[in-house]
Amino acid sequence: MKFLKFLGSRLVTYVFTILVGMTIVFFIPRFMPSDPVESMLGQMMSKSSSMDPASVDAMRQTLNENFGLNGSLGEQYIGYMGRVIFTRDFGPSLTMYPVPVKDLIATSLPWTIGLLGISTVISWIIGNAIGLLAGIKKDKVYSKVLEGISICIYPIPYYIFALTLIMLFAYIIPIFPLSANFNVSGFSWENLKTIVWNSILPALSLILTGTGWWVISMMSLSRNTNEEDFVSFARIKGLKERRVISGYILPNTILPQITMLALQMGTIFNGALITEILFNYPGIGSLIYRGVLQADYNLIMGTITISIFAVATATLVVDLIYPFIDPRVRYN
Amino acid sequence: MKKANLGKRILSALLAACMIATLVGCSTTPNVPNNGGNNIGSSEANKTNTGGGGVMTDVGTPRSETLVVDILSGRIANPNLYNPYVPGNVPMDAGVHQLLHGHLWEIDTVKGEQFPDLAATMPELVQGKKNTYTFKMKENLKWSDGEALDANDVAFTFNMLLKSKELAFGAVVRETVESCRALDNLTVEIVTHNPEPKLSQKFGVTIFGNGLIVVPEHIWKDQNPVTFTYSNPLSSGPYTLKDKDPQGYWFLYEKRADWKNTAVGQTAGEPGPQYILFKSYGSEEKRVMAAISNEIDVLQDITPESWDILKKKNPESMAWYSGFPYADTNDPCERGIGFNCSDPIYGRTNVRWALALATDIKNVSLATFDGMLRVSPLQLPPTDVLMKTYHKPMTEWLKNFALEDGYKPFDDSYARDMVKTLKQQGKEGLPESEQDIIDVFGVGWWRYDVEEAGKLLEKEGFKKVDNIWHKPDGSVWEMSILAPADFEIESMRLAFAVADSWNKFGVKTTVVQQDAATFWNNEATGNFSAGSYWPACGILPDSSVNMEHWNSKYIVPTGEQAPGNRYRWGGAGNNKVTAKLNELMQLPSDDPKVIEDVTEICKTFVAEQPFIPMFGTSKFVPVTTHYWKGFQTSENQFEGPWWWWSQFKYYTPHLQPTGN
Repeated sequence: MKFLKFLGSRLVTYVFTILVGMTIVFFIPRFMPSDPVESMLGQMMSKSSSMDPASVDAMRQTLNENFGLNGSLGEQYIGYMGRVIFTRDFGPSLTMYPVPVKDLIATSLPWTIGLLGISTVISWIIGNAIGLLAGIKKDKVYSKVLEGISICIYPIPYYIFALTLIMLFAYIIPIFPLSANFNVSGFSWENLKTIVWNSILPALSLILTGTGWWVISMMSLSRNTNEEDFVSFARIKGLKERRVISGYILPNTILPQITMLALQMGTIFNGALITEILFNYPGIGSLIYRGVLQADYNLIMGTITISIFAVATATLVVDLIYPFIDPRVRYN
Repeated sequence: MKKANLGKRILSALLAACMIATLVGCSTTPNVPNNGGNNIGSSEANKTNTGGGGVMTDVGTPRSETLVVDILSGRIANPNLYNPYVPGNVPMDAGVHQLLHGHLWEIDTVKGEQFPDLAATMPELVQGKKNTYTFKMKENLKWSDGEALDANDVAFTFNMLLKSKELAFGAVVRETVESCRALDNLTVEIVTHNPEPKLSQKFGVTIFGNGLIVVPEHIWKDQNPVTFTYSNPLSSGPYTLKDKDPQGYWFLYEKRADWKNTAVGQTAGEPGPQYILFKSYGSEEKRVMAAISNEIDVLQDITPESWDILKKKNPESMAWYSGFPYADTNDPCERGIGFNCSDPIYGRTNVRWALALATDIKNVSLATFDGMLRVSPLQLPPTDVLMKTYHKPMTEWLKNFALEDGYKPFDDSYARDMVKTLKQQGKEGLPESEQDIIDVFGVGWWRYDVEEAGKLLEKEGFKKVDNIWHKPDGSVWEMSILAPADFEIESMRLAFAVADSWNKFGVKTTVVQQDAATFWNNEATGNFSAGSYWPACGILPDSSVNMEHWNSKYIVPTGEQAPGNRYRWGGAGNNKVTAKLNELMQLPSDDPKVIEDVTEICKTFVAEQPFIPMFGTSKFVPVTTHYWKGFQTSENQFEGPWWWWSQFKYYTPHLQPTGN
């Protein structure tokens, strides 16, 4: 009963969060000093095609009509919410009209989930392993070395680090391609090999830069837990070190890391714009970026709604599974 | 003991993983010998050796037969949308209008005139029939599927655009055209609403391209033009689309076997490259690395700093000029600062002139592009054609031009002074003769005279207190210049350089960088006081079509979207310009009065400066010559280096393999 009440309140919060998020994401682009039609016309004019202003004005009216930008803000909002909630249709992209936004997202999202999902998990595993070692075996040389490397990489701006990797492994020592080529469609082992090969460098950049945070946080947690009385008691009892780590230290340190991982998995739906630009990776980050630059309202709303949904869902999942992982929460 | 074993095992596993990765890497990407020259590193990981020893591109074509071109617009989000009339289609500069689509009329930027492309003749007014024009199509033109390309396709295209209210370009056509029909297979008749002596400029190329793309009737006639994706486009140009990246990073084109049935084949000859690969490498650093490694033959816009690196690392790279200023300065738009003339401050001619005189143009040039810029005092870009037609003939008038108080602001020593400064900086390859110096650096600009600038401001009620200018109402004069955030780098840097000058003069100036959507929207709605825009463009001596947007009929209040005259420039000066523009729109381009009228328009712009023109656009668009030769340069100037323009297809017969 208590759990049902808990579940109910979480679900209400979940739905409310998504609705509020969608409302904000509808209105904010419209209050920005940018206009998708004007952006389009401006780009045409900057290429100096010989259109006289009267023709430009006529084109402006046509584009406004096509894009459904006529009508009051309220009418547009109700139409948009109804479309998204009942038909999961974000409408056509304004800058790639009439291609549906959901088709664009469906094309880009799997690439982002693949790269960022795998990189996040790997950096989580490696980071926590090093952090655990560094926290428990703080006097060992190897522990200090690993900790030092992770902490040194952590503050390096991602752009610099990624570019350095490209220069090293795609230019000076040309192991990987300078420009990734994901010319694949459909599943085959050959296609999978192409994807994996072209993804190694971007994944490596994300893993190495992402590991630092996990190292630092896990190191701090494991160091504190290692000093706890119950851990000292376990050692005094004569338990093997492996048992002390796996049975006493790890369960107490890993919980907040699992929470963070779940939340971070939600944010991967934002994409990794710099990664995509530097490595020619076809993810959703550049889609969001293009939407913002061109004031493509539907594309902005579609991509950010997906992101809101993902983060809210990740938070809900963490909230729901936490009682099962941490008995203290369950008893409370 | 057990702990030590664990550590050793982990270390061993890591080492093994590294070895495996290295082995896999080595087996997949064999080392290709250095290209020769001073290349550091060679990103040959894309290429694989064939059994016969020839290098292949990563799209499976022989490198020696493939011209690799940078894509100006970067990655294409939807690489399957080739309908030229809907937004979001594959951008024209991804090889689409360069290779697939011909236009009715193309532009020759060297001569400064249009020439027939798909058409065989220019449009001619039919005697005795009001507003009726005819032109002929070239004979024996074929689409890439073998069907005839003729007047019927042209008439179909026009009528499709006339009927469809949902196609934005249809609005452009409906504004001008009343009807269009094919009189026979080779003759097109167009009836316009009003006299259109410049019809070929409206529906042909003058700069970059044109919105009118002739489509094949036999493919489009049963399609809805609004939703038809045209994902397997037919070509009217000398190449067909052979393959494309589903992720939108590259497009591969192959020379048509029937290239003789294209306009390019008939007029210019057989294209050289068998394949042309348009590819986006991403950030400028990667594009330069690719060029150093000869992975790319033609680069789009790069910065002077990147060109410096490229020319040092790859001796086979080539810019427009072999020496300073390297860049091509004939781009048809010029850069400067425009003002919202409906603003009570910037609406005053004396204020705009004061800001012009407070601009240290030499330092602005050095700060923007290291001095590699051609200055312009007129409302027309300083291209070779327009320098010859307007800038040079008007030099005497410019020297004698005086402001209200009799002050003569023109300084014709700019070019000589720039050469002196650049020599002091150790730059080599500078022009020597007076004529060459002017050709490279321009006829001159306005004096840097802060004293005279101050006098003009004081006349308007401004006061300088503690080296800061105060407006007539007593408040500190603060202004911002809008600038592009991450595009059009010359305009972006120009804004900062000009702001620096004006800050030194005592006007608190900041630069506000904006993304494209916001930047253009602010211009349209007049939501700016000054902006680093580029409203002054032109190639043809008859620049009236490019100037038409200054017409006073387009002025709307600030806040409303302006169809033209986005600088809200009105008053007596604009009335004069408008009268001339209205006259010019009725004259054919070859009427002798055209140059006279455009000259008068330029004089009015000089007097009022609603847009302070500063420099032509310098384009660093270098090529690498390891695999291909025959590119145009200042010494081989069959055309300009407009790789992203539709006329690119006419360069291809000049390009030949080097044999590497």
